[in-house]
Amino acid sequence: MLSADFVIATAVGYVGLLFVLAYFGDRRAHANKKSFLHSPAVYTLSISVYCTSWTFYGAVGNAARSGLEFLTIYLGPTLVFVGWWFLLRRLVRISHDQRLTSVADLLSSRFGKSNRLAVLITCIAVIGIAPYIALQLKAVTSSIQAVAGASEFGRGSLTGIDDVGLAFGVAAGMALFTILFGTRHVDAKEQHHGVVAAIAFEAVVKLTALVAVGVFVVFVGGGFENLFAGAAERGITVEAQDTFDGRWLTTLGLSVAAIVCLPRQFQVTVVENSDENHLRVASWAFPAYMLLMSLFILPIAVFGLTIMPAGSNPDMFALTLPMAFGQDALALFAFIGGFSSATSMIILESIALSIMVSNHIVMPLILRLNPAGRGDGQGMTSLLLMARRFSIVLILSLGFFYFFFTRDSNALAPIGLISFTAIAQFFPAVIAALFWREASLKAATAAIAAGFVFWVWCSFLPSFESVSPQVAMLLHQGPWGISWLRPEAMFGLDNLDPLAHAAFWSILVNVLTLTLGSLLTSQSALERLQASVFVDVFKRGQVSRGNFVRGSATANDLFFVAERVLGDRRAAALFETEARDSGVDPDMLEPSPEFIGRLERELAGSIGAASAHVMLSKVLSGSDVSLEEMMQMADETQQVIEYSQQLEKTSAELRSTAQQLEDANAQLRELDSQKDEFLSQVSHEVRTPMTSIRSFSEILLDADDIDESQRQRFVGTIHQESLRLTKLLDEILDLSALERGERTWENVPVDAEAALARALTVCEALLRRHGVKVEMGERAPPTMVEGDADRLCQVFINLISNAVKYNDSDAPVIRVSSSVKAGNFVVDIADNGPGIAKGERKLIFEKFARGQRGAADQSGAGLGLAISRQIITRMSGSLDLAQGPLPGACFRVRLAVRR
Amino acid sequence: MADRRKLTGGMLLLTVLGCLLVLPPLVYVFDQPIAHFGIPQIVFYLFAVWLLLIVGTALLTRALPPAENGAEPGDGER
Repeated sequence: MLSADFVIATAVGYVGLLFVLAYFGDRRAHANKKSFLHSPAVYTLSISVYCTSWTFYGAVGNAARSGLEFLTIYLGPTLVFVGWWFLLRRLVRISHDQRLTSVADLLSSRFGKSNRLAVLITCIAVIGIAPYIALQLKAVTSSIQAVAGASEFGRGSLTGIDDVGLAFGVAAGMALFTILFGTRHVDAKEQHHGVVAAIAFEAVVKLTALVAVGVFVVFVGGGFENLFAGAAERGITVEAQDTFDGRWLTTLGLSVAAIVCLPRQFQVTVVENSDENHLRVASWAFPAYMLLMSLFILPIAVFGLTIMPAGSNPDMFALTLPMAFGQDALALFAFIGGFSSATSMIILESIALSIMVSNHIVMPLILRLNPAGRGDGQGMTSLLLMARRFSIVLILSLGFFYFFFTRDSNALAPIGLISFTAIAQFFPAVIAALFWREASLKAATAAIAAGFVFWVWCSFLPSFESVSPQVAMLLHQGPWGISWLRPEAMFGLDNLDPLAHAAFWSILVNVLTLTLGSLLTSQSALERLQASVFVDVFKRGQVSRGNFVRGSATANDLFFVAERVLGDRRAAALFETEARDSGVDPDMLEPSPEFIGRLERELAGSIGAASAHVMLSKVLSGSDVSLEEMMQMADETQQVIEYSQQLEKTSAELRSTAQQLEDANAQLRELDSQKDEFLSQVSHEVRTPMTSIRSFSEILLDADDIDESQRQRFVGTIHQESLRLTKLLDEILDLSALERGERTWENVPVDAEAALARALTVCEALLRRHGVKVEMGERAPPTMVEGDADRLCQVFINLISNAVKYNDSDAPVIRVSSSVKAGNFVVDIADNGPGIAKGERKLIFEKFARGQRGAADQSGAGLGLAISRQIITRMSGSLDLAQGPLPGACFRVRLAVRR
Repeated sequence: MADRRKLTGGMLLLTVLGCLLVLPPLVYVFDQPIAHFGIPQIVFYLFAVWLLLIVGTALLTRALPPAENGAEPGDGER
C-alpha cells in the first residue's frame, strides 16, 4: 500500500533529480557544442512535451468515454510533422534568421514589429493556457488523491487537506521549481539546454511508464484478443459509430493548430531548435513517439471499464489498475510518469509564457517609463528575470484559479480542448504570416481579437456552468433573453457539439476578418518589408534586415543599450567581434547599418523584435530616420540608380559610336594604303613600257648607222608599247571610274544570249590565230537580263581572251555554254589550260593580279578580271570561278533573269 | 534538381493523403463493425495509416539531401 507522504516524497525527489539533470545539461551544453544534448534525439524527445498528463491520464479517460476520439489529438500533429517541409522548416528558418522568441514575437515581427499585436497575443495566450495548466494541476492532484485513497494511513500528512489545498501546494511547488529552473539567466537565443535535457528525460520516463502499464494490462487481461473479448461480454465496445462527425474534424484541426501555436510547442520545436536538420529526424520520430504513447491507451481504457467498479474515474485508470492488482511499484512508476508529463508541460509552458509576458508587456512598459535608458548594465537583465519570475507566478495562479472555479467538472480532455480552441486563434494569422504577403497588421489584430471574443463567449464562459448559476442561465436563455446569442447555440445553431460549435464560429470569424481585412486595409512600409522577409525566406538575395540607417549614434551609445539587455560580457564580446571583423580598434568602431541590424536581432533574441526595435529607435533617435523617410530615401536611391543606368546607356552608345569611328578610320587607312599600293603598281606597270619606249627612241636618236629595217622594227616596238600604255591607262581610268561609280549606265533589259554570241564573233579572229578549238555546250534560248549590252559583251570578250591567253595546251580548247537555272542566266567559259593555282584563286579578281601559269605573253595589265567583276556586280550579278568540265579554269557569270 | 522537387512533391502528396485517409468519407470505408483478433477493424486501420505516414516520411526524408547548416541555398521555391 502506497502512502501519500511516500508518493509526495518520491515526487519531490524526482524533481530534485530533474534539477540536477538540468544543471548538468546546461553545463554540458555550454562546454561542448557537439554534445548529445544538441542531437536530433533530444530535440525529438523535447517536442514530446506535447504529451502531457492529458495524454497520460486524460486520453485513457477520453477513450473510455468517447472511443477513438482521443486519436485525433495525435493524428493532427502527425500530419503537421509529415508535412514538415512546408510549414515547420519555414518556421524554423525564419525564427533562426529573425531570432524569434515566441509565437507572439513571430506575429508581431511579421506584422511590422507591432507591439500591440504582441501584447494581444500574449494576453490571449496567458488566459487561453490557464485551463490547460489547470488540467495538469487537476491531474496531479487527482493522481495523488487516487494513490492516497481514503484511508488514514494512505492520506498521511494529507489528512484534512482537500483538492484545492493540494492543488495549491502543487501549483506553488511548480512555480518555485520553474523559477529555479528556467529563469536563472537571460539567454541570447532564449534556448534553455538544461531544461530541454530535463524535458527529454521526462519524455522517456512518461513513455516507459505508460508502456509498462499498457504491457501489464495486456498481460493481466490475457492478450489483446481476450481483453477485448472479455470487455465485449460485459457490453463494453469501442465506440466507433458516431466518432467520425464534426467533432472528429474539429479536434483534428485544433490539434494541428495547437502543435504549431502552443507557446511551449513553439518554444521547443522552433526556438530551441539548434539545427534545422533535426527536423528531419523529428518529422518521423515524433509521430512514432505519439504512436507508441497511444498504442496502449485503448486497452487500458477497455480493461479499466471491464474490471473497475462502476463510477470510478476513467482518467485515473493508468494509476488505479496496477493498484487494483496490488502492483504498488508499477503504480508508483505510473504516478511518476503522469507527474513527469504534468511537470514538463507546466515548466515549459510557463517559461514560454513568461518570456512572452516579459518581452512584450513588461519590457515595453519599462522602455516607455524609462526612455533615457538610465540604470546600470545589470539592471535591465535582473529586471527582465524578475519580470519572468512574476509572470510564472501569475500564470500558475491563473491556472490554479481556473482549477478552483471548475473543480467540479470531471473529465480532463474537454478542459484541454478549451485551451486548444483559444490557441488555434493564432493559427490563421501564422499561416498568413508565412505564406500571404498581403496579410496586414490591422486585419491580423482584428482577426485574433474577434476569434478570441468568440472563444470567450462560446467556449471559456460555458466551462463555468457548473459553478455559476448565472452562467448556467446565460447558457440556456442567452443574455437578456436573446436566444440567438446563447453561447452554445450562436445564431440558433444548436445541433452542433459545443466544442465544434465554438471552434467553428471563432475560426470562421477569425479567418473572415483576416482575409477581408487584409484585402481592405493597407500595409505600412515596415510591414511590407517584413512580409517579404518572411514570405521569401527561401529565396536568394535576401532583403536587408536592417531597418535603421547609420545616424549619429556612436558605438558607445549602442554598447550602453546592449549592455543593459545582454549584460556586460555578452555585449562586450559582440562589439569586440564586430571590431575585429571590420579590422578597427574597438574604441574606434563605427556602427554600420549591418551591425545595427545584427544588434537588433541579438536584442530581439532576448526581449522580442518589437521591443528591440523600439529600444534601438530611441538610441538612434535624433538621427533616427523614420521608415517612411527610409522608403523615400530608397525611392530616391532608386531614381539615382535609374539615372545612372541611363548614363551608363548613353555612355555605352558613345562607346559604340567611338568604336564605329575607329572602324571607319581603320577602313580609311586601309583604303589609303590600298591607294598607295595601287599607285605604286600603276607606276610600275607604266614604267616598263615607258622604259622600252625611251630606250628605243634614244637608240633611234643617237645612232645614224641603223638600217631601215632595224629602224622600222624599233619604231614598231615603240608604237606597240605606247598602244599598250594607252590601253593600260584606259583600263585604269575605266576601273577607277567604275569603282567610284562615276561611269554609270542605265540597266535596261538586254538579251544576254545575244551579247554572248556577239562576243564570240568578235573573238573569232583571235581564236583562229591561236588555233583554239571552240566547243559549244548547251545554249540558252534568248534571255533578257538587266544590264548594258556593250559592257556585258566586254566581259565575255575579256573572259574568252583570257581563256585563250592563259592556255598553253598543245591542242587548246575552250568550251562555252549558257543556260537558265533557277531564275539565273548562267554562262560558263572553260578552258583546258593549266587552271588557276589554289593560292591564286582569291587573288585573281584583284587589281594587277595575273595568273602565273600558262601565260604566253604577260602583256595584260591584270585589270581585266577586276573590271569584269565590277561590271557584273553593277548588273546585280556575280562572276566567280567554278568547277568546270575541262581540266583548266572555268569562269561563271551569273545574272538574274528579268521577269 | 528534379529529384529534389519530386521528393518534396512526394511529401506534399503524403501529407494530403494522410489528411484524406483519416477524414470522412474515406474513414467510413473502414468503419465497419468487424473485429480482427477481437480488435475493431477501424482501430487497425487508423494505426496502419499512422504507421504508413511515419514510414513514408522517414523514407522520403532520408532520400532528401540534408540542408547545409544555416546556409542552405534558397531552394524552397524552386
